[in-house]
Amino acid sequence: MLEDDVASFIAGNVMMIAATRDGALRAHVGRGCGAYFDADTGELVLLVSSSQWPDFFANARKGGPIAMTVCQPDNYRALQIKGTIAGVDVATEVQSAKASDYRDRMLAIMDRLGVSRLQLSTVFSNVDLAAIRFWPVDLFIQTPGPEAGERVQRSQS
Amino acid sequence: MTGVPLEAIRDSFEGIMPSVIATTDASGIPNLSYLSHVYYVDSHHVALSNQFFSKTAANVAANGRATVVVLDGRMGLQHVLDLVFVSSSRSGPIFDRISAQLDVMASLQGKSHMLKLRAVDIYRVERCRRIDPVAPIETAPENPVVARDWLAEAAAATAELSAIADPETLLDRSLETLEERCGFRHSMILVADGEGRKLSTVASRGYPRYGFGAEIAFGDGIIGVAAERGLTLRIADMRRSQRYVSAVALAAGLNRDDIPMPAIEQVQCQIAVPLIASGRLSGVVFAESEESFAFSHAHEAALEIIARQIAAGLAIFELADAASDAAGRGVAPVSSADKGQAFSFQYFPRDGGVFIDNDYVIRGVPGRLLYHFVRSYVETGRAEFSNREIRRDRTFNLPDFKDNLETRLILLRRRLEERGGPIGIERPERGQIRLVIDGTPQIAVMEDA
Repeated sequence: MLEDDVASFIAGNVMMIAATRDGALRAHVGRGCGAYFDADTGELVLLVSSSQWPDFFANARKGGPIAMTVCQPDNYRALQIKGTIAGVDVATEVQSAKASDYRDRMLAIMDRLGVSRLQLSTVFSNVDLAAIRFWPVDLFIQTPGPEAGERVQRSQS
Repeated sequence: MTGVPLEAIRDSFEGIMPSVIATTDASGIPNLSYLSHVYYVDSHHVALSNQFFSKTAANVAANGRATVVVLDGRMGLQHVLDLVFVSSSRSGPIFDRISAQLDVMASLQGKSHMLKLRAVDIYRVERCRRIDPVAPIETAPENPVVARDWLAEAAAATAELSAIADPETLLDRSLETLEERCGFRHSMILVADGEGRKLSTVASRGYPRYGFGAEIAFGDGIIGVAAERGLTLRIADMRRSQRYVSAVALAAGLNRDDIPMPAIEQVQCQIAVPLIASGRLSGVVFAESEESFAFSHAHEAALEIIARQIAAGLAIFELADAASDAAGRGVAPVSSADKGQAFSFQYFPRDGGVFIDNDYVIRGVPGRLLYHFVRSYVETGRAEFSNREIRRDRTFNLPDFKDNLETRLILLRRRLEERGGPIGIERPERGQIRLVIDGTPQIAVMEDA
């Protein structure tokens, strides 16, 4: 179970990258177009374009490992979540709407940071959207600095 | 083998957004990290800075592989690099360059040593492939601007500069040429003091004021680090910096208003190239822009070629001047009688600092030269001097012909001119210096500041 602040950080205005791996242990990267924590299932849901990131998607299989890093673009505050994929589905209409909303918000934020739509033209792709559900197992600080890579200590609940 | 040549995507290596590196551990669990830079080594290798990537490093140690995604800051295209680890290095040219770059970035963010480089990892690029855009949000123009032929521009610039016969013209024309041929609209040349301590602005272009005599300490900011380490440095996007730290060095112990550096507002991109000839640093050429990513690696290569021509030209002028006999003949006494209003001329032997009417003028060798001229004028009425006698006068501590004397005299003359009266310097002919004074200097030597 993710704590509320982590869950809201992941669902907030953050850039997101994720990695799966193939049988030869080569990592494959995809860029997410929105993510959220499903409190009912305890799973994280990552929305990602299956056609823009075919190698990443091809290796996103139930039971396989996944890592996702989310990063706030204005201050580089970042977290990495690792887990096991619980399922891969075609995104629902609601999830597609979430991705569109995410993309619009992020384009506006990045514009304010001086990054144009052209520069981001393939970053926030939401075509052929897939929803990758995974159970978060480990959480790490990923903000650049001496603490990068350290496991987040969770409070007792 | 690489599908896409690395040379074709070099602009992506310093992308508008950080690159991504992904690895897997021995049990196959992936790990992700952001990278500020991917460094091009050659057509088959890249270097990655190993600062905080402990998990990445452990994974690479386990299976030797990494996947990197880079994003082109101009066209929005992404590429994937499949990497195989080759070696890790804690020294050498690539390490030194990346280390210097990180040090400058850290100082701009006021976080010195936060980005201290531990090692540089060299990877062979097994494959470089383009991520074909699927329904891109925006598409690049059909006919992008044809890339400038930087080699031809550098060749034309050096051809022109090599034909110039005096150092002052070389300094000014160099900056004009950099704008005309390479688009460097804001630029300056700084001359080193010969002691490895500071650099002074001797020529500038594209600023509201010239700032002749403005100083930067070795090791301070992009210019000071470029000089200290003899390395070209480029910051493509200063938006990542939290604040712009002024690199003007302050002299310890003296309460003085230093000459402000020429500056533009909203600087986003900077480049500094050391001026080196025969293995000796004579200064730095520096350029900056309000546009991020204004200077690419191609600008950098062109500027390096032109900088070497400037450095060689300045060295040749110094050698020619030192070997010349055009000296010591025009000692023309003039009346030292009262020539108008008195003004104070304070001299600080400790650092060669000169103040006129309590305003800071200059220090170092140019300050010592100015004191010598003014004192001689007051004591003997002499107003004309020669490069040759200065070189023979050991009190200036000039290291034979490697003294940058001409450049320092240019700096002194320009500083006095920009400041405006009552003292000026003229160069009636090669190797000659004429002091022009409007008024009567009251010299005070300040032994203890």
